[in-house]
Amino acid sequence: MIVRVVLLLLFLALLAAMPWIGSDTVIQFGINTLLLATLAQGWNMIGGFTGYPSFGNSVFYGLGTYGTAIAMSNYGLPFPVGLACGAGLGVVCAVIFGLPILRLRGPYFAIATLGLSAVMAAIVSNLNIAGNNIGLILPLFRGDALFYELALGVLVLATLTVFWLSKSRFGAGLVAIRENEDAAAVMGINATLYKVCALAISAFFSALVGGIHAYWITFIDPSSAFDASLNVKMVIMAVFGGPGTVFGPIVGTFILSAISEVLASSVSTVASLFFGIVIVLAVVFMPKGLVDLVAGFRRSGVRYFIENMRRYRI
Amino acid sequence: MPAVLNQSEHREQSEIGVQLFGQVFVNGVLLGGLYGLMALGMGLVWGVLRIVNLAHGAIIMLGGYTVYYLYTGAGVDIWLALPLTMAIMFCFGYVLQRYLLNLIIRSAMLNTLLITFGLNVVFVYMAQLAFSADYRTINPPFAGNNFEVLGITVPVVQFGAFVIALGLAALLWLVLERSTLGRAIRATAQNLTAARLYGVNPKSIYAVTFGIGTALAGVSGGLFGMVSQVSPYMGVTLTAKSFVVAILGGLDNPLGVILGGLVLGIAEAMTALYLGPTYTDVISFGLLVLILVARPAVLLEKA
Repeated sequence: MIVRVVLLLLFLALLAAMPWIGSDTVIQFGINTLLLATLAQGWNMIGGFTGYPSFGNSVFYGLGTYGTAIAMSNYGLPFPVGLACGAGLGVVCAVIFGLPILRLRGPYFAIATLGLSAVMAAIVSNLNIAGNNIGLILPLFRGDALFYELALGVLVLATLTVFWLSKSRFGAGLVAIRENEDAAAVMGINATLYKVCALAISAFFSALVGGIHAYWITFIDPSSAFDASLNVKMVIMAVFGGPGTVFGPIVGTFILSAISEVLASSVSTVASLFFGIVIVLAVVFMPKGLVDLVAGFRRSGVRYFIENMRRYRI
Repeated sequence: MPAVLNQSEHREQSEIGVQLFGQVFVNGVLLGGLYGLMALGMGLVWGVLRIVNLAHGAIIMLGGYTVYYLYTGAGVDIWLALPLTMAIMFCFGYVLQRYLLNLIIRSAMLNTLLITFGLNVVFVYMAQLAFSADYRTINPPFAGNNFEVLGITVPVVQFGAFVIALGLAALLWLVLERSTLGRAIRATAQNLTAARLYGVNPKSIYAVTFGIGTALAGVSGGLFGMVSQVSPYMGVTLTAKSFVVAILGGLDNPLGVILGGLVLGIAEAMTALYLGPTYTDVISFGLLVLILVARPAVLLEKA
């Protein structure tokens, strides 16, 4: 246990030192990867622990983006205040959307979130305060090292939150909802409250990521803020790594980001195609993700894949 | 507009209003029939296999491209290209279900959602690689023609798509209700174990059902390509719309699904008329969430 913690801290120190040892390209890749890992971790809270497959978490990312941008460019507020506005907007909207949508289960919930993510861009592009279709420009700030450390800090915070979920009574309640919602309700869990809280926490981190990304890029518009392909990425990375585990989404993001970066340097479409193939294969051969694969492979070798494939077939 | 209208002007205006309303209503009905056809396959697969196919819109898109390349590319007659597309898409769906989706059919809903979500991504980007991101339109020789009924213009293509949609829904209803295959499909949906005891092979029944679903989706994609455009990204909104329509119509009756399509088509057309075309998608998803939230218990019983 102690050895593991020490190794983890060493790895964290190495990550934190990256801005001083890596090149500019590495740092930029690092920022993107850390932000994506936080999104995957955010999805993990609602999709992995609670078992509600949200295909619309990009909405909260987008709201964080717009909250931050509106506060900074329309009202001239400093970045920390803007970020807080963005995160606040994400959480408030998560509660507003969550109350009706989280009453739905399984496919109904999935499609409602899918619809939400498709609609948000259309709504925002009709808002005057959000700069309509044109978008908003944020004040320029150069300092990739700072953004890197900020992204790392948010990821650590998100991971600590997930760690807390895995140990706490609240987290156990979410897992109970995932396994059998009716039984959980009978056991005295206030399912609605738990689910809305889980979505709000998930939205909080997604919105933080949106805000940081907006200030880093300094320009936002509806189609980039509510980019539906972000949903694809965060879901795939969490599922590939191991939904409902503490480190799965991070491991998944690091590995898949690295591979997709290599693929994207040739053709970007190929990288997206690769994500789709990964998710299909992952569901068939390793539905519990990389974390379970490591344990299962040690136990039964290649048969692990065959066992998984046989388990649910007809 | 003058501040005071005399009576004849007033009457003229309201007549134009009625005419416009009628025209938009007819447009909505015609589009709604096509929405119904799109949703038929999704409803069938959902009802029988318990899979909510998030790649449904992408399959519609693939069907659209198949018709496009058969007709515009290879010069096959349009009335031959449509059934040919259905045959091709049937085989495609059969293989997909038999050799991939059958592997995870008994796992949790989350996994079937995830795998079809992944398939959606695969289809979209394969289409982008193979067919490029350009918008394509299928232009049959009668594309520009229209006829007039009671002062309302009816485009031939839209009308044809509507008639085909109704015909296929009726055919599906006949197959499900009157044929041995249909009985086997319905039996599998009702009780898998009992169906097996009566000699139904669920592996192939599932594959055939999914194949029928993709064939219907494919032909609807071809028709959609005639009334609108085909592009690799057209799928996601069509998936969500098909879902709305399938719920509206219920999963047990093909003709009900067509009716659900009409409701969505008319609602969209009216939204475009009174609120502006940017809001059509907002309305159809607002409708979706409203319906889902208002009566989930009833719907779950049906599903």
